[in-house]
Amino acid sequence: MNDPTTAPIPARPTAEAGAPTGERGPLVGLVESDQAPLLARPYFADGDPGPIVAALAQVPEMLEATMPFLGRVLGPSCLPARIKEIVILRTSAQASCRYCIEAHTVVARDVGLSLAEVRALRGELGVEVTFGDPAERAVIGWSDALVGTGPVDADIKASLRGAFADYEVVELTLLGATTLLLNRFCTALDLPTSPEVVARLVAEGLS
Amino acid sequence: MSEDAVGGRVWMYSNYHCNMACTYCLTDSAPSSPRRALSTQVMVTAARQAAELGFSSLGVTGGEPFLRPDMAETLVAMAAVLPTLVLSNATLFGPERAERLRPLADADVAVQISLDRADAAPNDELRAPGNHARVVEAIPRLVGMGIRVRIGTTLDPDVDVDDEERSRLCALHRDLGVSDDDHVVRPVVRRGRAAAADMGVRATVADLPPELTITADGAFWSPFGPTIRDGRLDTDLLVTRTTDPLHIPAGALARLVEGRPPGDDARLGIR
Repeated sequence: MNDPTTAPIPARPTAEAGAPTGERGPLVGLVESDQAPLLARPYFADGDPGPIVAALAQVPEMLEATMPFLGRVLGPSCLPARIKEIVILRTSAQASCRYCIEAHTVVARDVGLSLAEVRALRGELGVEVTFGDPAERAVIGWSDALVGTGPVDADIKASLRGAFADYEVVELTLLGATTLLLNRFCTALDLPTSPEVVARLVAEGLS
Repeated sequence: MSEDAVGGRVWMYSNYHCNMACTYCLTDSAPSSPRRALSTQVMVTAARQAAELGFSSLGVTGGEPFLRPDMAETLVAMAAVLPTLVLSNATLFGPERAERLRPLADADVAVQISLDRADAAPNDELRAPGNHARVVEAIPRLVGMGIRVRIGTTLDPDVDVDDEERSRLCALHRDLGVSDDDHVVRPVVRRGRAAAADMGVRATVADLPPELTITADGAFWSPFGPTIRDGRLDTDLLVTRTTDPLHIPAGALARLVEGRPPGDDARLGIR
């Protein structure tokens, strides 16, 4: 009989349900609802929670901490939804995150940004000619600076400080930085855009 | 950690490989299974942390824990911290190898050995040829060495084991030196290989008592959680990937238990 005590130790861990099966698609398995860990189950209660949650569910204690944080930073707050989506979409475009650009193009349209404004934030039209509000232009400049490296240019700081209070500057900065976190997470893991978002982009000519 | 909320025992899957391949195995274990072992250091560290958190006992399962040459010394080190129960198929306890277990006699360790039926044929059909005979031979040897032995009987709920056979099984374990208090009976749970074989009772989180279970893949709701089917680990009863420090999965398990409706636990008597 084969002696298990001397059998070679497999180099790879045991596969898990939802693990990717091919070279195309996300880098990691997106957890299906029937395999959702206990801490993740609330996020699956109303159906498909989307690929960010389905990926984070691989590490339920991280999901448990991350989702309330993301919900607070990206969700309704004292900043207008329009301003928040300007930051998120602009940051995502500057970071070249395909998943976030596509998802937040739809959200931006839903909170009232025009087709031209969305295109400008995505870098397809000029910002200066599309956005007339100096405060919104300052937010766009701030978003661009957040994606860069090193200290932020003094003029960009001054523009933002001239339009927003301290607490708003803090939240705008946290929002942009959190968006960058998601940009790199979604891009590195090759998370797929949902079919519903793809359909909306096609319907609005924004695909 | 209150035993009212979370079971007092912390389980550890020492390894997943096994020298047998039982029909109803939760973990799809076999000789060729990936080991996914917890080191002795990890297990003893977890034992110490469990004691600090207020847990009252430890459990070790697999796979077959005694495929590991270091298992006896690991158990002795764990039992120096908390009473420890180890589950085994007892097929590796021939006269020579059983000597490795002698230190367990002086430690707070109980060895729970699987014996499912009074008669060899139906027992061996689900477990392995010759299993019944080897178990019946091994138990008196361990008892004679002064090691506390329990017997765990797992029954297929679709198979009628009548009172007469149950009486003979109990007579057998008494004859082998194992008291009624040290005989536990539980149903096959429809997970792992049992699910693939269409066997056992369906068990949801509401049916399974919460007992923190540490594996190489993370911490689970109960020892019935980290099941493997067709080579894939189930994550539906995963609590956390983090197992050290132990307070992280223990705290998460406690929060889950607190959020569970009262009165739903242990409906199936699965222990």
